[in-house]
Amino acid sequence: MPFFTELFVSEIMKKPVLDPKGDELGKVKDLVIVKGEPLPKVSALIIEKKKNIFKFLWKDLNIFNKRIISANIYVEALLPYELNEKDLLLVRDILDKQIVDANGAKVVRVNDVKLQGFNSDAVLIAVDVGMRGILRRLGVERGGEDIMRIFKKHMSYNLISWNYIQTLEPKLTKISLTVPRQMVSELHPADIAEIISQISHKEGAVFFKDLDVDVAAEALSELTPETQVDIISGMETEKAADIIEMMPPDEAADILSDLPTEKAKEILESIEKEDAEDIQELLSHEEDTAGGLMTNEFIAYPPATTVRRAIDYFKKDAEEVETVYYIYITDDNEKLLGVISLRDLLLADLDSKLSDIMETKVKTVIPDADEIEVSEIVSKYNLVALPVVDTENRLLGIVAIDDIIDRISPPAAKRRRRKV
Amino acid sequence: MSRWRKIIIFLSIMGPGIITANIDNDASGIATYSVAGARFGYTLLWILIPTTIALVVIQEMVARMGAVTGKGLSDLIRENYGIRSTFFMMGALFTANFGTTVAEFAGWAASMQILGFSKYLMVPLGALFIWILVIKGSYRSVERILLFACLLYFGYVLSGFMAEPDWKEVFYGTFVPQMKWDSEFILLSIAIIGTTITPWMQFYLQSSIAEKGIKKEEYNISRLDVFIGCSITDIIAFFIIVTCATTLFPHGIRIHEASEAALALRPLAGDYAFIIFAVSLANASLLGAIIVPLATSYYICEAMGWERGVNKTFREAPQFMGIYTFMIVIAAILILIPGAPLIFLMVLSSVLNGLLLPFVLVYALSLVNNEKIMGEHVNTKAHNVISWGTIGVLSLLAIFFVITLLLPMRVGYG
Repeated sequence: MPFFTELFVSEIMKKPVLDPKGDELGKVKDLVIVKGEPLPKVSALIIEKKKNIFKFLWKDLNIFNKRIISANIYVEALLPYELNEKDLLLVRDILDKQIVDANGAKVVRVNDVKLQGFNSDAVLIAVDVGMRGILRRLGVERGGEDIMRIFKKHMSYNLISWNYIQTLEPKLTKISLTVPRQMVSELHPADIAEIISQISHKEGAVFFKDLDVDVAAEALSELTPETQVDIISGMETEKAADIIEMMPPDEAADILSDLPTEKAKEILESIEKEDAEDIQELLSHEEDTAGGLMTNEFIAYPPATTVRRAIDYFKKDAEEVETVYYIYITDDNEKLLGVISLRDLLLADLDSKLSDIMETKVKTVIPDADEIEVSEIVSKYNLVALPVVDTENRLLGIVAIDDIIDRISPPAAKRRRRKV
Repeated sequence: MSRWRKIIIFLSIMGPGIITANIDNDASGIATYSVAGARFGYTLLWILIPTTIALVVIQEMVARMGAVTGKGLSDLIRENYGIRSTFFMMGALFTANFGTTVAEFAGWAASMQILGFSKYLMVPLGALFIWILVIKGSYRSVERILLFACLLYFGYVLSGFMAEPDWKEVFYGTFVPQMKWDSEFILLSIAIIGTTITPWMQFYLQSSIAEKGIKKEEYNISRLDVFIGCSITDIIAFFIIVTCATTLFPHGIRIHEASEAALALRPLAGDYAFIIFAVSLANASLLGAIIVPLATSYYICEAMGWERGVNKTFREAPQFMGIYTFMIVIAAILILIPGAPLIFLMVLSSVLNGLLLPFVLVYALSLVNNEKIMGEHVNTKAHNVISWGTIGVLSLLAIFFVITLLLPMRVGYG
C-alpha cells in the first residue's frame, strides 16, 4: 500500500511511474476519482506511454509521493484504458473548473487539488484557489516565493476544504459549494482552521506559520480555545503578537486570558501600545464578573471522607491554597454537594463523615454574575468566600472576599488585571 | 409569427454584435482609415470587402459559442487548454489592451483639444463618465447607451456626403481591386485589416452574448445582429476613407492622426464637416475606452473564475470592477503626464495584438469544432474551409503587420 502524507496534483503530473526494476511504465496523465468516506479518493492512475493510455489501480502502487512513483507490477500487467465520460477524472473534470457557491454566484476556479494520505488511500482534501496554485501549475511556485520574500511578504495558501464542496458527479461542468459566496470569503480562514484541526497538530502548526497575518488572525479565531492556546504557545512571541494585534480586541482578550500568564504578558508587551490598551481594557471588563474574579484554588473533599482524614488532608493542602476558611464537599463529577466551615470541621466528632455535618444549602453564583451581585451575596450572608458553579452545579472556583473588596474599593496599583 | 413580433424579438436580442463591430472603428481604426484615404484616395476601398467577410465569419463563430455554451471565450480556453496557455495569453492581452485603452484616451484628448477644450479637464471628466456608467449601470442601460453612441457614427456618413465625392470613382475603387506595389500601400492595407479584427473583440462579443443570456434557440437572431454590425462597421470605415480621399488626397495633404484629418478638413470641407468629424472621433474614442477595458475585465475574470458582469455591483464582482477601474484611471493619468511613452505603448499594443490574433483565432476555431462543447452546433465542413482559410490569411497578415511595425519603415497610422 502506498503511503504518503500530502501533495498537490500538479506536482505529480507527467511524472514517470516506475516498475519494480526501475523501468518507466508511463507518465501520469490523470487520476480516477471515486466516492469515499469521508472524502473522495483516488482509485486509479491514468498513465500514458507513447500515446497509449493505461489504467493503473491504486493498490498496485508501491511508492507515491512527489519525488517518486513506483509500482508493484510490470508493463505486461497494465490495463489498456479508453477515455470515457463515465469516470470522473481529476485533471480533465476538476482542474480549472469554475467553482460556484450555493447561490450559483461564481467564486473562483480550481487552480490545484490537494491530496492527503488517509487510511492508505489518497483522499481529496482541499481545492487550491490561490495564487500559489497558479504559480505551482506554471512550475514557478518557488520563484514566486523568492520574489515575495524580497518584499518581505509571505505567499499565503488559499485553500477551500473539500467539506464545502458538493458531491462530485461525472460530466460536471462546474463545481458547487454548499455555502453562499458571502460566507466563502469568511470561510477561507475558517477552512484553513478546519484543515488545521483535521490534520495532525504538528502539521497544522507548520501550515499556520505560512499564512499571512490577516488570514492567520481570522483563522485563529475560528479555532477552539485549546487549539488557539496550542498554536500561540508554539509560536515566536513576535509572530504571535502580530497575529493577535490583527484580531478584534475582544477575541484577542479571550485568547490572552486563556494563555499562561507569562506568555500573555510577553505578547501584550510586543503589541502596539494602543492596541494593547484596548485589549487590557477588555480584559478588565471581563473581570467584573464572578468568572473573572474567581480563583480555582480551593479545598474540596468527597462526602465519604471522615473528619479525621479531612483534617489530615487539610494540613497539607492549606499550605498551597490561599482561602482556606471553607471546605467544599464535591462528588466524583465535581458537583458541589455542601460546605463546612473550618471552625465546624475542627469542632466536629473525628469519626463522623463530612456528609453528616455539611451544610447543603450553599449560596453560589454562575461565572457571568456581575461583581455587584457577588458582593451583595457575600455581604448578606457574611461569607468569606463564595463558590462559582456552572449550570450543572459543578464547582469551578471561589471568589474570596478580599478580591471583592479590591474590586469595590480598588487600590490604585491594582486597577489593572492581576493576570497581566 | 407576425413581422412586428419578429422585429421586437430582434430588437431585444440585438446589441452585442452591433456594438462589438462598431468599436472596431475606435480611435486607432479611424486614424488608419483617415491616413489611408488621404494617402491613396479611393484605391484602398476594395480592401473593406474581404475585411467585412472575414469579420463576419469570425464574429459569427464566436457569437455562436457564446449563445450555445453561455460562457466566455477565456472560460472555454481555461477549461480546455489549461492554465499555462491561459495565463500567458491573459498577460499578453492585458498589456495589449492597456495600450489600446491609452490610445482611446489619446484619441479622446486630441478630439477635445481640436474642439477647443482643455484635455486636463476633459480626460478626467470622460474617464469619470465611463467609470460611473459601468460601475453604476446595468447591462441593459449600458447597452442602450452604447447602441445610441453607435448611432453617432453616422456622423461619418454625413461628412462623407458633405465632402461631395465623385461617386463613379468611389464605386470603381470599391469594386475593382487595385494593387500598388508600394510598401506604404501594402502596409496600410494590412493595417486596415489588423485594426478591424482584433483579439479583444472576440472576447468581448462572446462574453456580452453570454452575459445577455442569449440562448441557442435565439441564435439565428444573434447572427443577424452580428451580420448587421459588421456591415455597418465597414460602411462607416468606407465613409471615413471617402471623406479623406475626397478632400485631402487631391491636395496631397499627408496626415498621421485622426485629429489632424479633422483639422485639415476644416478649410477644405467647411466647419460642419470638421465638427462632425471631430465629434465622431471623440465618440468613437470614448466608446473604445469603455469596451476595451470592459473586454479585459471580462476575460481575466473568466480565466480566473471570478464573478463578473456589468450587472454586478462592485461588492459582488470586486475584481471585475477593479480591473476596469484600474485600466481607466491609469490610462487617463498617462495621457495627462507630459512626456509619457504613449507612442511606445500603442506600438507595443499593436504588436502584441497582431501576435495574439492567430492564437486566439486558432483556439476559437478548435473550440467551435469541439462536439463536447458545441454539440450539434459545431462548424459545418464548408464553414470550416472558409474559417481556416480566413484564419490562415489573417494570421499571415498579422505576422506581417507585426514585422512592419518593428521595422523602421513604419507608417504613421495613429
